[in-house]
Amino acid sequence: MTDTPNLDPFALARTWMAQWEKMVNEHGTELLAKPEAAQAMQALSGAAIQAQAASNEATGRMLAAANLPSRADIEALGTRIASVEAALVRIEALLRDSASAQPNPPARPAVPRTRKPPA
Amino acid sequence: MASAAAGTAQSAVERAIQRSLKGLGYLGSPAPVLGATSKDVIVSRGPMRLYHYHPQVDEVYRVPVLLVMATTNRGYIFDMVPGQSLVEFLLLRGYDVFMLDWEAPRPEDRSLALKDYVEDFVGGAIAEVQRATGESDVSLVGYCMGGVLSVLWSGLNHAIGPKNLAVFTTPVDFRQMTLFQAWSDPRYFDVDRLVDTLGMAPAEMLLTAFDMLRPAGRASANFALLDNMWNDEFVKAHRMFDRWSNDMLPLAGEYFRETTKELVWANSLMEGTMRIGGRPVELDRITCPFLHVTAEHDHIVTTAASAPLIGLIGSPDKEQVVLKGGHVSLIAGPNAVKRMWPRLDHWLGAKSV
Repeated sequence: MTDTPNLDPFALARTWMAQWEKMVNEHGTELLAKPEAAQAMQALSGAAIQAQAASNEATGRMLAAANLPSRADIEALGTRIASVEAALVRIEALLRDSASAQPNPPARPAVPRTRKPPA
Repeated sequence: MASAAAGTAQSAVERAIQRSLKGLGYLGSPAPVLGATSKDVIVSRGPMRLYHYHPQVDEVYRVPVLLVMATTNRGYIFDMVPGQSLVEFLLLRGYDVFMLDWEAPRPEDRSLALKDYVEDFVGGAIAEVQRATGESDVSLVGYCMGGVLSVLWSGLNHAIGPKNLAVFTTPVDFRQMTLFQAWSDPRYFDVDRLVDTLGMAPAEMLLTAFDMLRPAGRASANFALLDNMWNDEFVKAHRMFDRWSNDMLPLAGEYFRETTKELVWANSLMEGTMRIGGRPVELDRITCPFLHVTAEHDHIVTTAASAPLIGLIGSPDKEQVVLKGGHVSLIAGPNAVKRMWPRLDHWLGAKSV
């Protein structure tokens, strides 16, 4: 008995891809686990961080010259807004606690917490 | 035989046409709506979001469930679409479900440390769940780093503890995460310079690191998409998971610095030397029922990194389950629907009355 010929053009590619994936994952992770790979990756990453730091500094100087707020200024504002938000949360909680003492109906009817697991 | 060959040829041609037609449609179609189960956001503070999902049955278990998401990813992996949502599954099984989810930390959040995540966010979420439900008992269910945070909180607060603690794919022996160990080798990786300069661990850096765990993974996934473009279910699932896996969050600088130094370099959770806010994390004093579900083919948190956790927990009622699947397919998708979700329900239901 002869097998039906596989006419799916993706069949061959599928087999090749599975082999390629296995090979790249195995050898790739083996290579990436080597100290030399870690050193190279971190050297690249370090350079990118250095470039980012230099860019931040230059941008900060430019913004100061143009009398515009820097990222640090915006972050400081953000911190102050966050502390205002935190104060609002505390006030909301206090209001909620005092409101819960009132006999107001709940926003959504409470579901009874009496369920038992199926036998 | 000739007719069989003709049928095969026809099928191949039809699929080729469908691939082309649907491929064009795919490029122009909107992203799927994820995480849409009805809920209230009851806390929104810094990167912390606490959701309370609306019950979908008339009677719920007494003990509410708090899902704790990993800090690198969004919580909608627990709530993809109807029929593929752990949240919806738990609601329909009668649980009162809450989720601790995360937003990207803002620049002013850069100083948030591990202590803030464990005591303020996990501890704060538990207090909010207790307040919202009127119940002092809460079950904690954590995924990956969310599992680590849940375990850390439980190890600090074993006297009051959660009612039940279930974690999925939670690393404890970070020495066994060999690639992450190699890439964060302190001889080459200057975590202080990264954090001091950028204030955050950028999401792109984290995504690249996860991608490099399987260097061919992305190309292979794209090929599988092209190959299966005729299959609507495959395409839908691919889009959901692809969107989620690319939707990574940056990490607050101090939190990243501390997790790198304490967990990855010192391996202090495994060594039993972990302290948070000056207090010891005592896993051997956690006595609540404990479940750890790990995945057989997890390439992110390998079995070697997660398996020792069960031995460190002091509870007499503890169980480790290894299920088929990978790091993500363990908790979402058809594999999870079939394997993990029913297992969790079976374990948790009896302990939630």
